[in-house]
Amino acid sequence: MINPEKIPFKSPEELKEEEIERKIKERGPEGEILGGIVFEEEKVIDPKTNEERIKRYIYIGNPYEERPIITKLETGASREEVEAIKREIIPMKESFEILEAMARTYKHRQPLLIEGSTAIGKTYLAEKFTELLYGRGVKPLDFYCSGQTDVSELMAKWVPKVETKKEKRKWEKFLKLAKTRVKLIKIAQEAAQTEGLSQEQRLALIHTRLQELAESAGLSGKTQWRLQYGAVPKAMGLIRNPDGSFSFDAQKGMGFILHIEEVGLAEPQVIDALLKIRGKRGQLANEIQLWENGGKKIKAGPKFWAFFSTNPPEEYVARNEIDPALARGVVFKRMGELSEESLYLAAEYYFTYKLGGKPEEKPEGCILEIYNHPEIGREIAKVVSVFHNQLNKALKVKGGGEKGGGEKGRQQRIPLTLDDMARVADALIDTQIRNKETGRLDLTETLKNLIHFYYLDRLADQDLKETMEDNLKELLEGKSGRIEFEGKMLTRRKIFDILVERASMTEEERKEEIERTKKELEQAKHNVEDEIMSALQDPNIPKEIKNELKKIKKQLI
Amino acid sequence: MKNMDKEKLSMFIHLLQKVQKQPNQTFDLGLIVEELGSQIEVEEVFEEIKKIVDTERIVYDEKIFDEDVIDKIVDIFRKNKWVFLEIKKDIKSPLLNQLKHLANHNCLQLIDYQGKDIFEMKMPENSRLIVFAERDFIENKISYPHFYRLFGPTLSLK
Repeated sequence: MINPEKIPFKSPEELKEEEIERKIKERGPEGEILGGIVFEEEKVIDPKTNEERIKRYIYIGNPYEERPIITKLETGASREEVEAIKREIIPMKESFEILEAMARTYKHRQPLLIEGSTAIGKTYLAEKFTELLYGRGVKPLDFYCSGQTDVSELMAKWVPKVETKKEKRKWEKFLKLAKTRVKLIKIAQEAAQTEGLSQEQRLALIHTRLQELAESAGLSGKTQWRLQYGAVPKAMGLIRNPDGSFSFDAQKGMGFILHIEEVGLAEPQVIDALLKIRGKRGQLANEIQLWENGGKKIKAGPKFWAFFSTNPPEEYVARNEIDPALARGVVFKRMGELSEESLYLAAEYYFTYKLGGKPEEKPEGCILEIYNHPEIGREIAKVVSVFHNQLNKALKVKGGGEKGGGEKGRQQRIPLTLDDMARVADALIDTQIRNKETGRLDLTETLKNLIHFYYLDRLADQDLKETMEDNLKELLEGKSGRIEFEGKMLTRRKIFDILVERASMTEEERKEEIERTKKELEQAKHNVEDEIMSALQDPNIPKEIKNELKKIKKQLI
Repeated sequence: MKNMDKEKLSMFIHLLQKVQKQPNQTFDLGLIVEELGSQIEVEEVFEEIKKIVDTERIVYDEKIFDEDVIDKIVDIFRKNKWVFLEIKKDIKSPLLNQLKHLANHNCLQLIDYQGKDIFEMKMPENSRLIVFAERDFIENKISYPHFYRLFGPTLSLK
């Protein structure tokens, strides 16, 4: 008999956790990931009004993990919105690794830095993560770094208030001068370093110096100046209004998501400025002090979160390693290359048009509505993902020992992204070539043409271009590109032709084809029976074999 | 322009008009590259594009500030026209930021612009942006290493 005291008791929290974990790990009939992100509503009692209200939450976890760590975050998105956003995320292992890292660090107010190749989807997932928290169409505040980035774009700068266009141009010209910029930095430094001044006195000092600067350049010394905040203080104090617009409050703003991209390209002075947002215990700073405004502090709202992203150093020629101080001050996650499995999964999603965007009516230029034939899409996905991978590898190994490889003799890099596949898939809908003999879609030629347009025409290295053209031809039509299809080894061209022929048939033709195949099968069966009959009558065939043949005959019947 | 180039240009415009990348349904920015030794004049290309779509030209050179280029792009988009942006100097940070916004989100996002803390403007359905530059210039003068990544279709003119 079971001792009732030994039966493990599960609290409602444990049961809820198990249910959420089950939903996070949910898979479809073919093993496809359905979970990863779960939406739930909860009733809560407002402590102020004592009224019951509904709060919305999302749970994010990596469904590929046996025991995923699940993060719960409050959301402004509806159930329908979360479902729609989920459908737009290709459920690759790498996507969930990134989303999980975003959710965990966001919850704990820790800045996150992800270093990963261009194809991995950092920008896209930052956008989706923002949508998961705020609703469809809401984008993070994005800032892209380059070698040209100026600290003032990130932090703050003084700009003159001018009335006429002519005056504006005059000022812009003056402010762009290198010596003006140096002087502006010196003014901020003087305001910061002069001891014993109140905030007002510091601001007054800045104004005096700005006026002197303008006068020295022959511009009106009476010009009024205003401080323009850059991306960092703005994100710290942003308020998202109910109509979707933004306003700013340096003290009471809620804060928003700031995505700083390609941080590896930033110059050291930009990195120094970014280090200001590091706070205690690995968290984001609660406030920053800007000397440009006389040392006034900007408070970080509770929803301020900074996400940095960068590509691996080997993808650039002139790119620095991530600054060690920045790397120490953030949660630093290095991602590897997209796996071949993930690459194929992405290709399958694009070419079977699972991510939406199917036309309602057959568009002009469309011979076969390819988006309604996932069986063809899956075969295309195999070809394109293999080609994409081959080119990606070739771009990385070429370059004659240069850091990062790439095409020989060029400065610019062309790392491939999943967008390249997406473009081919979308163009395939209405940019199709007709086979002049059959009148049907010539899928092989269409694919060759689109791959050329989107992948190969960008290449400046003619040798690489020719090699990749040959590789594509071999993949589609050559002996080594043959694969097993319905029990036969066929080239992809042949497979495409068969699939297109089937998909292009009318209902009547399809019935006729089925009838014809049935007849052929019937004929084949009769032929086998005849052969068996004649073998059974042959006195030279041993009894054991005849017994086996009898069994086969029975099975045929 | 040779007939073959005209055909390629027409295909290029068609792809920019029609192709919306999954899953965000975003349109691409286009790049026209003038190869070394090409006899084609930029005016010729611009005029040819104008025959297909309503387009305005901006020349990004030493005489113009990024802020002015951004103002012009906003104006052209407000008129639902296409932008033909000829690049003749290295792209500075303000313009690069907006090109990246357009490429990633089909949207301009500016801080403290036109009286708004955050100004966002979606690229109109009937507008696109095409960048024109010489191959040699792209390879040797553009310091941003992922310039080509900003664009979808690339048309190479020899």
